Amino acid sequence: MKWRRAAYFLLPAFVMYSLFVVYPLLSALGYSFWRWEGTARGSFAGLSNFTGLFTTFPLNQQLWPAFWHTAVFFVGTMLVQNTFGLLVAVLLTELPVAKRFFQTVFTLPYLVGGLVVGYLWSLLLSPSFGPVNKVLELVGLGSFAKPWLGDPSTALPVVILVNAWQYIGFPILLFGAALAGLPTEVAEAARVDGASPWQRFSRVTFPLLLPSIGVVSILTFIGCFNTFELVYALSGAQGNQPTGPGGATDVLGLIFYRVAFQEGGANAIGQSSALAALLFLFIFGIAVLANWAIRRREGSLT
Amino acid sequence: MTVLHEPVETVAKPPRPAARRRGRRRTPRERAMVILGVALLLGYAVVAIAPMIVMVIDSLRPNRAVLSDPLGLPTSLDFSSYTKAWTDASFATYMGNSALVTISAVALDVCVALPAAYVLGRYQFRGSGVLIAYFLSGLMLPIRLGILPIFYLLGNFGMIDSRVGLVLVYAASGIPFSVFIMSAFFRGLPRELEEAARIDGAGEFRTFARVMVPLVKPAIATVVVFRFVPLWNDFFFPLVLLRSTDKYTLPVGLTQFFGEFQTNWSALFAGLVITTAPIVILFLVATKQIVAGLTAGMGK
Amino acid sequence: MGKRKGFAVIAAAALAATLGACAPTSSSSSSTAENVTLSVWSWRPEDAAIYKKIFDKFHESHKNITVDFKPYKSTEYNTILATGLTQAGGPDVMQLRAYGLVQPLVKANNLVPLDGKVAGLSNFDKTALDGSRGKADGKVYGVPLEMSTFQIYYNKDIFAKNNLQPPKTWDDLINAAKTLQTAGITPFAAAGKDTWLLPLYDDLFAASRYGGTDFEKAVLSGQKKFDDPDYVAALDVLNQLKPYFPKDQMGLGETDVQTLFATGKAAMIPEGSFALAPIKTIDSSLNLGVFNAPPAPGAVVNKPLQVGWVDASYGLNAKSTHQKEALELLQWMSTKEFGQMVADDLKQVSLVKGVQSSDPLLKQMAQNYQDNPTPYLMLVDFRYGTPLGSDLEAAGLQKMLLGQQTSAQVAGDIQKGISQWFTP
Repeated sequence: MKWRRAAYFLLPAFVMYSLFVVYPLLSALGYSFWRWEGTARGSFAGLSNFTGLFTTFPLNQQLWPAFWHTAVFFVGTMLVQNTFGLLVAVLLTELPVAKRFFQTVFTLPYLVGGLVVGYLWSLLLSPSFGPVNKVLELVGLGSFAKPWLGDPSTALPVVILVNAWQYIGFPILLFGAALAGLPTEVAEAARVDGASPWQRFSRVTFPLLLPSIGVVSILTFIGCFNTFELVYALSGAQGNQPTGPGGATDVLGLIFYRVAFQEGGANAIGQSSALAALLFLFIFGIAVLANWAIRRREGSLT
Repeated sequence: MTVLHEPVETVAKPPRPAARRRGRRRTPRERAMVILGVALLLGYAVVAIAPMIVMVIDSLRPNRAVLSDPLGLPTSLDFSSYTKAWTDASFATYMGNSALVTISAVALDVCVALPAAYVLGRYQFRGSGVLIAYFLSGLMLPIRLGILPIFYLLGNFGMIDSRVGLVLVYAASGIPFSVFIMSAFFRGLPRELEEAARIDGAGEFRTFARVMVPLVKPAIATVVVFRFVPLWNDFFFPLVLLRSTDKYTLPVGLTQFFGEFQTNWSALFAGLVITTAPIVILFLVATKQIVAGLTAGMGK
Repeated sequence: MGKRKGFAVIAAAALAATLGACAPTSSSSSSTAENVTLSVWSWRPEDAAIYKKIFDKFHESHKNITVDFKPYKSTEYNTILATGLTQAGGPDVMQLRAYGLVQPLVKANNLVPLDGKVAGLSNFDKTALDGSRGKADGKVYGVPLEMSTFQIYYNKDIFAKNNLQPPKTWDDLINAAKTLQTAGITPFAAAGKDTWLLPLYDDLFAASRYGGTDFEKAVLSGQKKFDDPDYVAALDVLNQLKPYFPKDQMGLGETDVQTLFATGKAAMIPEGSFALAPIKTIDSSLNLGVFNAPPAPGAVVNKPLQVGWVDASYGLNAKSTHQKEALELLQWMSTKEFGQMVADDLKQVSLVKGVQSSDPLLKQMAQNYQDNPTPYLMLVDFRYGTPLGSDLEAAGLQKMLLGQQTSAQVAGDIQKGISQWFTP
């Protein structure tokens, strides 16, 4: 395709995106080089907003635990949400009958929105009213009944599980769409050759799914490092403290949200923009690397 | 056009599981595994639905009852919360606005993203990698970061308190996601398709519109669902960018039930049921598309 | 020709007349005031119906002004307000957060100083006006709306059933708690998940331990710091009370503990004056009383203190196009007429001099504050910079109650955080 023709295809998206997304975000990142009094711009600040992130107490002490929690959150989500999502998607291809029923039911949580999911699960997990603990007691596992969201050791795993509950529809649908487009001859040939279901999956299906696994992984990575709504709703109204009991579920997206919108500090814009800029550099670097690695792997398959 | 009639071995043949299964008996082991699989799926389905059932039940009880016994059963079916949401809180108007804004935004998003994704997915030219990174980078920042510049930008166009402004911002914010996913699916289509189309004399745009797009319908349906839902549920941008109450969308209406110190759970849940019902319907339609997309390539 | 000319003259005259009427008039305007709609913003969606009634009353005495009350979700209010004040189309009058949290708006010149413009400011005490005062210039930017107090509500029926009276000494308090525990009732419905309540608990139970207003003055002047032994001991008081808090305190939010209390599973709840209406919503038949915590062992001040602070005020948008009418509204908000409605309809403690709540509990809280006041220290004095004092104390107290930090460490962290921006 000629360059010019390609440009016409690209132009509308490029213009719209650049005007309404890139320009505002770049402006916002640019704000990080000034000091702010509320919404009025103050004096030029150079890099002081950036260094301030690492020197202001207690923010500097919250950044590294939040980074760690976010990383754990990402790994946990990959393991729980995307692995089960893939498993379910594969199972569903074997079951054409109730397929749409299951797809709908599993994606239903996603349709409600993060804040509400958080409140509903807080209710279910409540130590005083929640049925989760009541059910555990009924079944005789009463010793496991804890204040799930109030215990520093269980809070983050619970957040990962609830998040997976909400978003599992995404890998199910995406992998389902990808599986639907796979050429079946190779798998058929493998079955005829006597390969077990597991071998068929791991040797044939899985490698062919690599592109979609790549897409899902990158999007999960980006999502986890920006997420805050669900964690916020699950952890109660903590105002500006690191979320979770003793800060156990604090994630980077939440720190951004707090600094930008909650804390009420005069230089909120300067500080939050600086944090967002650093976050962006990190995520961009990793995402580009990952994309490049996946494309190379893809290329080696053909 | 002949290209559509060719027995295309190279085009992905979607599996026809039902047809295949009919002709083959499962081994007992396979049967057991399928049963186990279904049992697991059903078990998880209960977990998936349980909180929503709580939500629906609580919407049928007065708020006082919900506050004193959050997980109790209704003594009688109380629809007053639904009336409160629909009429007092103007949910009827908000539903219309939500539909208008979300459908326009998603449609606009998909329409501009499809051609872009096509080019980026199937053509390697200098700078295509950079462009993909450019589009993807939009996802990496929380869009709320840009609220102040967006506010000023729309103000300059006179689009504060304008649903058009909201639609433009929403559509633009979805472009990275749409382009990224759809380009991946375009990339997965066999190389030979353009060749075949060109041999048949089809121009580039025709190839794109008549051949390529129908083949990625499952991807389009997925993108539509995953763009529609967050926009339908977003309260932040309408809250900041709209002023007239008759332009508000459903989520903004929902925020009225969140008091500073006490939330009207019953009304909130009723409002949520009203808000969620349309997307469930949309979802059912979209998944039908995904399944229908499987059969699109064959028999034409 | 003459007729047409005549028409032209009349038309021109009419046009001139209309244009003249449309031209911006000076402040000494025409005798007939035009009808104006004022936009009032707030963060209290739950009060929408009540404010409609209140502003209808205002309309009776100000026939040319209609008020459009627009409440927004409290958690997004700050952003909505900050953006709304930068351009036209924002509010005329808006609810303002108190003390440190209003300073960014003041510094960005979004607000109009009201000294000399609202005569009714003299209807408020100086401490009431501190809540809306600019830190740098000392001018008042808002008409105080309400104050909040924090105390212990107790269920009179449960107390009676267990032969208990509101405790007069600390030992009485602990013994009452023990009696309740033996009877299977949670003594204090204290939350741990909504950490913003924890510093309030500490001031409620232990302000007397660190010395109330004297300590406040000492810290503000630099004579004392937060690592002072009295303050550390005050933080530790919560550790002493921990056995009488709910077992799963850290998993309970404010709504959970309100429900615990309102359904009779807990006998006492440390809560604010703003919680009276929500608790009564759950069960309006509750027989409630209030009292303040007796001085803790080793207390510097030997009487129960009433924690209180100014909660909100109403201010004027510098970009409002209806300044004159907005000032009329603000003037009305400083009168007893409005103050009485704040007390009786909004069920808050009004700051207007001479207004008394018709609700006996609110009246008692206001009286307690008159007699033995102590501020909610972190909110009143330590939100003028970030990190906010209240955030530091909340995070620290949660860690302390989880056993992750000692009270001395918490105090040290508070001092460290505040000293980054605070100079006595």
